[in-house]
Amino acid sequence: MKVRFWGVRGAFAMSGREFLRYGGNTPCVELVTDDGQRLAIDLGTGATELAKSLMGTELGKGKGELHVLLSHTHLDHIQGLPFFTPFFLEGNHISIHGVDPAGTSLEATLQNQLAPHYSPLGGLENLGAHVSVETFQPGHRLVLGPFKISTAPVPHATMWTTSFRIEADRKVVTFLSDVEYPDPLAPDPAAVALAMGADLLIHDAMHPDEEYDLRRGWGHSPVSAAITVAEAAMVKRLALFHHSPDATDDQIDRVVALAQARTKIPLFAAAEGAYLDV
Amino acid sequence: MEITFWGVRGSYPVPGPQTVRYGGQTSCVEVRSSEGGCLVVDAGTGLRALGQKLAREGGGAPGRYHILLSHVHWDHIQGLPFFEPAYIPGTTISVYALLTAADELQQVIGGITRHEFFPVPLEAAPAHFQYHEVEPGVRMTLGEFMVLPIALNHPFGAVGYRIDCDGTSVAYVSDTAPFTDVLHKQHFLRGLETLSEDDRRTLDQIRADLVKALSRCDTVIYDTHFLPDEYARFPHYGHSTPDQALEICVEAGVRRLVLYHHAPGHGDDLMDKIAKEYAEKGEALGIEVVTSFEGMAMVIGGAP
Repeated sequence: MKVRFWGVRGAFAMSGREFLRYGGNTPCVELVTDDGQRLAIDLGTGATELAKSLMGTELGKGKGELHVLLSHTHLDHIQGLPFFTPFFLEGNHISIHGVDPAGTSLEATLQNQLAPHYSPLGGLENLGAHVSVETFQPGHRLVLGPFKISTAPVPHATMWTTSFRIEADRKVVTFLSDVEYPDPLAPDPAAVALAMGADLLIHDAMHPDEEYDLRRGWGHSPVSAAITVAEAAMVKRLALFHHSPDATDDQIDRVVALAQARTKIPLFAAAEGAYLDV
Repeated sequence: MEITFWGVRGSYPVPGPQTVRYGGQTSCVEVRSSEGGCLVVDAGTGLRALGQKLAREGGGAPGRYHILLSHVHWDHIQGLPFFEPAYIPGTTISVYALLTAADELQQVIGGITRHEFFPVPLEAAPAHFQYHEVEPGVRMTLGEFMVLPIALNHPFGAVGYRIDCDGTSVAYVSDTAPFTDVLHKQHFLRGLETLSEDDRRTLDQIRADLVKALSRCDTVIYDTHFLPDEYARFPHYGHSTPDQALEICVEAGVRRLVLYHHAPGHGDDLMDKIAKEYAEKGEALGIEVVTSFEGMAMVIGGAP
């Protein structure tokens, strides 16, 4: 299995010279099995770049299928949806999987994003592709083609986001973004179980530890929380993810160096760019 | 007056090596009077950096801000929840927009921070938000600024603004299609639709009113999202080309045209070519043509 980060930035897309090495797009991650089957996680602005790459596949001919997992529907995780070109080609089948937000449905939320006030698309029914929105209860398991997925709800300020443990090709990738544990330095049992033994853990690390006190309660993790889960779950590799919009490339370099000095778990900061072997 | 461009991109923010020079953030322009009065036009992602600057200038003290919205598509409002002054208690933020549907402005604009989309609802922000409906052709006085809303041709409606102050004028004309094709509709457009006689009359009237409103304006910021070949493929998207902007501005006797709302796929090198080509075209027509980039500041009314 390979993984590619198309968007690694939290909250807000950042353009400019200081953000070129790690990238300024908001969250979008692609997983590809050895035989070329794909899964996308979240549709932040990174999805507009993923879309360009997918146009070279069957999805570019209107003959493709794709499953998309949504961790939640905060804007930075869906703002690329109206510009995800595979949606516009008739014949494509794209299914979006997620949990209903409190008090509403996932489908109503995405419809609202495309409502005529906000988008000329007007609604999901106007997308050329066949788009289905499929919801599940947090904690349920999903099988999407070759991907076997366990899910768990994790706390994100006033709400819950969905985290994923994804198995394919006998490898495991765990996606734990937009999470703030009640005690960031105590290993959260649900998170640890989801990440146990993973080949790659992608974890929210929006705040450098020294800035965390100012941002407590905002729903994101300090770098140490990511390391705590990674160590308790004995993962093989940790990707720090969901970088603060204000973190420049040089600042992220420093965060990584400090984090590496603190743990024996191999770790790096997720960056837009090449396919990585899991 | 002086204006500063905080976001010049259309559709969605575009990070990356291709947008380093012209910028990747979406629509947002700051307008300043010589007395220091401030108007913000559009609240795209460029608003975040502007808000940081305004909060810094204010030293954390409450302020009074006016934000004029052309319309409420995401690329023109997405910066609002990230506007730092919204989190300063005692601040008042007046938002002006066209009512394009039956819903209240508060519901539509505040709706971008429903809990599904954003952790903190705007209603819960410490600043006080006021919403004002604008009507094309009906002037408003906002501090030292005289503001004229102008109807534009964009799906579900949009307005431009002519702003007069300090004895000079600047206008913001985005988003708009030209006035030859079907648009300005209140339903989803799959492609071009046949114009009725009524549609034609409406479009002719919108065009005539726009030219009149822009008459002798010093500087006009215009939606020039598309190059001509792109426009030919997507005429129903509601955006113009630099040629269509030139036609309107020359007819209105405008001194300077600013190209704006660049397509997300137009990288820096292509933007350089567009800037050069249209500066030359403008020169031949007797109008200065400038291509906007993020961070560009411009004195309105020429040299003092």
